[in-house]
Amino acid sequence: MDVDPEIAHAAGPAALPRRNGELVFTAPWQGRAFGMAVALQRGGRFAWRDFQERLEREIGGAGPDDDAARYYEHWLAALERLAVDRGLVDGEELGRRAGEYRSGLRDEVF
Amino acid sequence: MNGVHDMGGAHGHGPVVVEPDEPVFHARWEGRVWAMARLCLRRGLFNTDELRWGIERMPPARYLDASYYERWLTSVETLAREKGVAGAGPVRPSGRNPACEAPPRPRFRAGDRVRTRNVHPAGHTRLPWYARARRGVVERVRPPALLPDTNVGPVSRDWEPVYSVRFESRELWGESGRAGDAVLLDVFERYLEPSATEGEEEVR
Amino acid sequence: MNGAHHEEHEHHEHHGHHGQVSDVEARALALESLLREKGLVDSRDVDELVSRYEHDVGPLLGARLVARAWVDPAFRDRLLHDANAVLRELGISGEGLNIVVVANEPGVHDAVVCTLCSCYPWPVIGLPPVWYKSAPYRSRMVREPREVLREFGLELDDATRVRVWDSSAEQRYLILPERPVGTEGWSEDDLVPLVTRDCMIGVARPGTGGV
Repeated sequence: MDVDPEIAHAAGPAALPRRNGELVFTAPWQGRAFGMAVALQRGGRFAWRDFQERLEREIGGAGPDDDAARYYEHWLAALERLAVDRGLVDGEELGRRAGEYRSGLRDEVF
Repeated sequence: MNGVHDMGGAHGHGPVVVEPDEPVFHARWEGRVWAMARLCLRRGLFNTDELRWGIERMPPARYLDASYYERWLTSVETLAREKGVAGAGPVRPSGRNPACEAPPRPRFRAGDRVRTRNVHPAGHTRLPWYARARRGVVERVRPPALLPDTNVGPVSRDWEPVYSVRFESRELWGESGRAGDAVLLDVFERYLEPSATEGEEEVR
Repeated sequence: MNGAHHEEHEHHEHHGHHGQVSDVEARALALESLLREKGLVDSRDVDELVSRYEHDVGPLLGARLVARAWVDPAFRDRLLHDANAVLRELGISGEGLNIVVVANEPGVHDAVVCTLCSCYPWPVIGLPPVWYKSAPYRSRMVREPREVLREFGLELDDATRVRVWDSSAEQRYLILPERPVGTEGWSEDDLVPLVTRDCMIGVARPGTGGV
């Protein structure tokens, strides 16, 4: 699996958080959000620039951020919106499912 | 060539400026340029020596003013033109570097005293200006590699032994050098000749 | 200082939360579970991608090599003798891969530069920083390494000798620094965070807060 430089080395406020050159994930869900977006792109579900544009919109005017958690919240929001817009998942079902995880009704993890 | 890119030992460039936690690419186009160049390399449109040579041929002021990826971009543009990508005629790729079928036998061994030639090729070379006509000792024999000087279009593929050669700081910089410190430079065999052994004063 | 970005993702221990799942975590889980159900992603692919990007895009691979060499003398010997063979065993290969690991010995400090352009062991430590490719570093490192190192905050005593490796051919040099004093008995995982990109180029010592 090749690392795609367009993804790995995006620039500006949408740049992946790094420390010492390494990618930073401060919680497992961030890595999952990252991996899901890349997996969908590789599966041809969307072009990376489409995701990138959404991400930049989510980040908005905020400058580059050191905080991986905040960055990946934007990432996840962009991914959710794109996934719903492309019909990959249903928005309401997503909300319901998240509720199940939050309440502990569902606990399957990846 | 004795171009501005060959800057080992040059004065006047100032302190090293470090940007803390800098991004790999400072702008989107940089990543595109990097990816494009790597794809061209992978597909054999041009080779790494040609990419470097394209950069080295930039006018000096332009080279110094350009950012790192601007240099790459300039070189890729130059090569695209030269390889016929940007014209109506056929594309003339250099092809990818072949494997080495018959490795040449190294002339020198670790511990041998050598001297770099006093050569000043106008074309591409990887013997820096600061290390010409200098005495050193072979530290290690490396695997053979394609001589960069002749691997730029039209390519003639010359496999040469390569050596890590140790040059004492005083040998390179005279009194400005520091006894005990050294530079280890990777030198192609064609750039070397044996150093006089008897009666030659050793610089420490 | 080095803690946060090395937090382990133990996916399989994740469900110890029992209702403590945060909003954002719940959303990420929900999305992945739906995508899986619809056959749009395979979670193992997600795993591999995360790992690939994490490990291949920065200095972590190099740091792991160094940490392992510190705890495993046989590995260290193999790494110094033929780093490319070791990397191939680890699944890192590729045309033009030509890494040579140089070990700092007591009394010798090594550093790497490419005076002619910017050659750098990027397959193991990621792409080079701008300063490495800059005229000041490229011009001064071969002539006055101690002054440059001092600017990086690294002081060498008079008894230490400096070797600067100018990457003028195919070899890409990676420095194996000496293991810091006071880390006896540390595991490889504990040591990895001490190994920074800068200490593998030779402008910093491990574990001292260089980048």
